[in-house]
Amino acid sequence: MTTSLSTSRAVQTPPALTTRVRQSIGERIAPYFYIAPFFLIFAVFGLVPLLFTFYVALFDWNPIGEHVFIGFDNFSRLLADARFWNALKNTISIWVLSTVPQLVLALLLAHLLNHARLRLAVFFRMSMLVPYITSVAATTIVFAQMFDRDYGLLNWLLGFAGVEPIDFKQSVWGSHLLIAVMVTWRWFGYTTLLYLASLQAIPRAIYEAAAVDGAGGWKQFRHISIPSLRPVIVFTVVTSTIGGLQIFTEPLLISRSQTCGAIRQCQTLTLFLYEQGFGQFQFGYGAAIGVALFVLVIVAATVNYLLSTRIRPER
Amino acid sequence: MKLRNVTPVVLAAALALSTAACGGGGGGTPSQPSGGDSKSFEFWSFSGIDQKADVDRYQKQNPGVQIKLTEVGSSVETAQALTTALAGGKVPDLVLIQGDDLPKFVQQPQNFYDLRQLGADKIKGDYLDWVMSASTAKGGEIIGIPTDVGGMAVAYRADLFKEAGLPTDREEVGKLWPTWDAFIETGKKYTAKTGKAFMDNAATSVFYQAVNQGPQKYYDPSGNVVYSTSPQVKTAFDLSLKAVQAGITAKQGTFTEGWTAGMGKGQFAVISAPSWMLGSIRRNAPDTKGKWDVATIPGGAGNWGGSYLAIPKGAKNAKAAWEYITKTQSPQGQLAHFLDAGSLPTTPSVYKDAQLIGMKDEFFSGAPIGAIYTNSLLGLKPFYIGPDSSAIGQELQNAITNVEQGKGDPAKAWDTALANVKTAIGK
Repeated sequence: MTTSLSTSRAVQTPPALTTRVRQSIGERIAPYFYIAPFFLIFAVFGLVPLLFTFYVALFDWNPIGEHVFIGFDNFSRLLADARFWNALKNTISIWVLSTVPQLVLALLLAHLLNHARLRLAVFFRMSMLVPYITSVAATTIVFAQMFDRDYGLLNWLLGFAGVEPIDFKQSVWGSHLLIAVMVTWRWFGYTTLLYLASLQAIPRAIYEAAAVDGAGGWKQFRHISIPSLRPVIVFTVVTSTIGGLQIFTEPLLISRSQTCGAIRQCQTLTLFLYEQGFGQFQFGYGAAIGVALFVLVIVAATVNYLLSTRIRPER
Repeated sequence: MKLRNVTPVVLAAALALSTAACGGGGGGTPSQPSGGDSKSFEFWSFSGIDQKADVDRYQKQNPGVQIKLTEVGSSVETAQALTTALAGGKVPDLVLIQGDDLPKFVQQPQNFYDLRQLGADKIKGDYLDWVMSASTAKGGEIIGIPTDVGGMAVAYRADLFKEAGLPTDREEVGKLWPTWDAFIETGKKYTAKTGKAFMDNAATSVFYQAVNQGPQKYYDPSGNVVYSTSPQVKTAFDLSLKAVQAGITAKQGTFTEGWTAGMGKGQFAVISAPSWMLGSIRRNAPDTKGKWDVATIPGGAGNWGGSYLAIPKGAKNAKAAWEYITKTQSPQGQLAHFLDAGSLPTTPSVYKDAQLIGMKDEFFSGAPIGAIYTNSLLGLKPFYIGPDSSAIGQELQNAITNVEQGKGDPAKAWDTALANVKTAIGK
């Protein structure tokens, strides 16, 4: 009887319900498995090295000798090190010099490509990507030769205008400019295509309506294109900030030295890290620079986040 | 998105660091070589020193031996790669280390085979004492066998000297500059006459040469740092500033693109030429063959450079590597290498060999480079090279270069240089 009762109860319970509960547990767990690979890879290649860097920064760490615990000495030494502040200054200067022209140029080009009835429009759009797919090393070697003091194309051309040869690599502003030109050249096409993609999502009708109302090209650009590009602009500012803090190959290759010149005129933070960690083999000190760089990136990312949330309501 | 973009950057270094941590502990290798097939081994060298000539000759003489030679990069890059390899635990069987990079490794001898246990005690007398002592650690462990020393001389363009009305014969040219001051005076005459620069740059062609002459460089014989008080360093520094202020330098940093181009185009007439530099000139300016000649260096004997062969502790084929060392670095082996590639032997027993004394170089107008470079080592007073020698030299050189580029104040250059060295090495 008991059995039949329970059976009848079981029968009374809608079978669909139990199945649905079971399924929903599986459904709840499954997504975690789908995203697990990223977090596993991140843990192995991101988090563990990150934590290990913090750990190493507390030591006087000779890679082939002793590891002596020295607490926060590396950090206090770093804050008092003129070379660190110089590298920070250079990094920011190069970042500003490369990001501002790059984004402005990309905006204007994207607007042009979006509107102009060009022959071979696809060709022009695709050719924007050529600098982006060129290797950084190749770019750097070519630009370094073009900007050479004695045998460079640029100084040769300037010579016709009666200008004395400029030694770009040896001066502070010159080397920053040279690196900024390389970074701009490499990235503006990529940024242009990002902007272009966004611009093409804007209905033509809006532009046509504006034109009917008498708005010229510039007014259309200011009042339609730029506002609708805001999220993409924020995105490119964020990526270029992070990219700017990473500039390494260009200064290393134009100078062929870890200091980037006699007075470290173009030594960036990552190059300073490389010099200390892998040139002088002060792993602890190098790790401390890495931690400082990490903090800087967090600060930059936070500023960017605040900026982007501030402009979101206007959308 | 932010995190994904941030982490790889900051931590590219950390990755290498974590590898270092994994491998650092595994140092329980026995001191006697074992394992391996004793027929093949891996050899890391740097470029520009032509170890391939030795390797090829050795393989020809010893059929069945397989040597995997890798030219890692410059001498500094090779030392960096070695450090990373030692920290990571996966090492080559044999490695070439440049003299300036050696002290860091000598201070940590536990990373290398003590070559005495392989028989270095028996052959160490074949080599110059002071060269051998540089690779001997405090506890007496010998970690490297010297392959060559960097005797010094000056390479000059005879054709350009002729245009400037200077003598072209190497004997007479050598007599033009018994001292560095006379060298600078000659430069002034050349520049006044031709309007062109006399030498490539002051930091290497004056400072690096002059500072390597004499008994005490950056360290005293017992290993204390004395760069700020060593008269040899200050004199060399002042001489190079004098050359800069005389306006006779082309301001071309050694091994830069401008330097290479300028060398081919005769932008300067004189380059400092430690024996290993001759190969660089040959490679970088092949069209100038026959226009160069080699004269003695101002200021007398000295040494710049030189390299060592070492066997890392974790080497799998240490025995094969050691056999290679003993055969190729014997006095006869070093002589053969000199005749092929031009680096000066470290084995004094061959210094009087007719083949070495008689060695002439066609590229350099038949200059008797064998005799010139061996003579530059006679009467040499060796100095101690310490773990920070390379970093100290770099900062001093940078200060000179800065004045040369017209950015630095010559009156403040020395104080700036000392301050920068102090920041760099912490003492």
